[in-house]
Amino acid sequence: MQASKRKSRCRGWIAAIVTSAALLPAGAASAAEAPTRAEYVTQLESLCKPDAAATRVAMKGARADIRRERLAAAAEKFAAASSIFAGTVKEISAVARPSADEAKLTKWFGYLGAQESYLRRITAQLRADHAIPAQRLTARFIHNGNLANNTVLAFGFDYCSFKFSRYG
Amino acid sequence: MLPGGLRGRALAALAALALLGGLGAGAANGERTQHGELIVALDGGLSPLKLPRDRPAPVSMHLEGGLKTADGGLLPQVTAIELELPGQGVLSTQGLPTCSPRQLRDTTSAKARETCGEALVGSGTLEADVLLLNQNPFKIQADLLAFNGRVRGRRAVILHASAAKPPIVVVVPLLIEHRSGSFETALVGELSPTLGPWPHFAHFEMTLSRRYAYRGRERSYLSASCPIPRRFTAGFFSFAKATFSLADGREVSTTIARGCRAR
Repeated sequence: MQASKRKSRCRGWIAAIVTSAALLPAGAASAAEAPTRAEYVTQLESLCKPDAAATRVAMKGARADIRRERLAAAAEKFAAASSIFAGTVKEISAVARPSADEAKLTKWFGYLGAQESYLRRITAQLRADHAIPAQRLTARFIHNGNLANNTVLAFGFDYCSFKFSRYG
Repeated sequence: MLPGGLRGRALAALAALALLGGLGAGAANGERTQHGELIVALDGGLSPLKLPRDRPAPVSMHLEGGLKTADGGLLPQVTAIELELPGQGVLSTQGLPTCSPRQLRDTTSAKARETCGEALVGSGTLEADVLLLNQNPFKIQADLLAFNGRVRGRRAVILHASAAKPPIVVVVPLLIEHRSGSFETALVGELSPTLGPWPHFAHFEMTLSRRYAYRGRERSYLSASCPIPRRFTAGFFSFAKATFSLADGREVSTTIARGCRAR
């Protein structure tokens, strides 16, 4: 009986050690994956920086296109910006978030999702030569961008923040 | 456009270059950016919003903004201010009297209006944190007046801030510079350390507007248009950018976009 108890205790220890061994790396990884806000901002800014520059290049001349009523040409610039934006959001979504900022960042990513949708819809309206709907969507795009910025104001983003000036 | 200078040339100020868009976006509470603990805010707009598509019309411009700290800490010392304005408008000083900083030194608001009223182009308020040795910081509110002027041969907006309690008068010339890019006009002013408590300023609001007659014609200090195609009813443009240089070497700024409607 005692031998059996010892055996069972021993099995218990082994199980515990095995379980711990299995969990340890996961626990260590999860600790490593939860960055501080400063680390998170640095990482995101490094991802947003090249895309912000690419957006400026893609949108160059869009303002002039609109003024000259070349909506199809402007649409292609918006399409390129839209694709860059979608890529950026996908990339930064994958970055582990500081646990204390989870709620705030979830809200922010909600706004970014809306921004992505606005860009796609503006592109579609411009392609369809619908000036007024494109104008209305642009108003919402700018307003939504400002709301997004306010949500993460304390993060001090530069390249990852919405800037009207990037869009032509 | 300047008296005897860049006459007739459209200078940058406001006006509406359009991307696309309606109005209302972003105009509610102004835009803010945060740099460390420091929050920079800027708001403003043109009045009227409805403007001709093809020619500048008289407008007034309201700007307000400032600095605050997220943790309620002391405001840093500001050493220079830069207000950038878009390049599709007109800032006209032709035939408008000028006033020199010297004329405004040590004058109350009433006296400044009396001395340089003909050159008045705007007014507002200024709020600053006063930091005195062995005393708790306190806020001070001043009346702000803006005059058309010339400094070292260059066009300028001369700011005159006057507080009653404690009695302080500060005169800061903002030189008008021309640049390329979205913002073609910049008002640039340096704040001397000898200004004492004023560089720790927290908030300003100012409306620039002046109608005057010159050679029998009605003129406006500021004019703007809403140059959008016929198929659009409204447009957006980069309206203003405020940059504050701080004593610790940092530069903090924020930019706002605003809209116009075509009439």
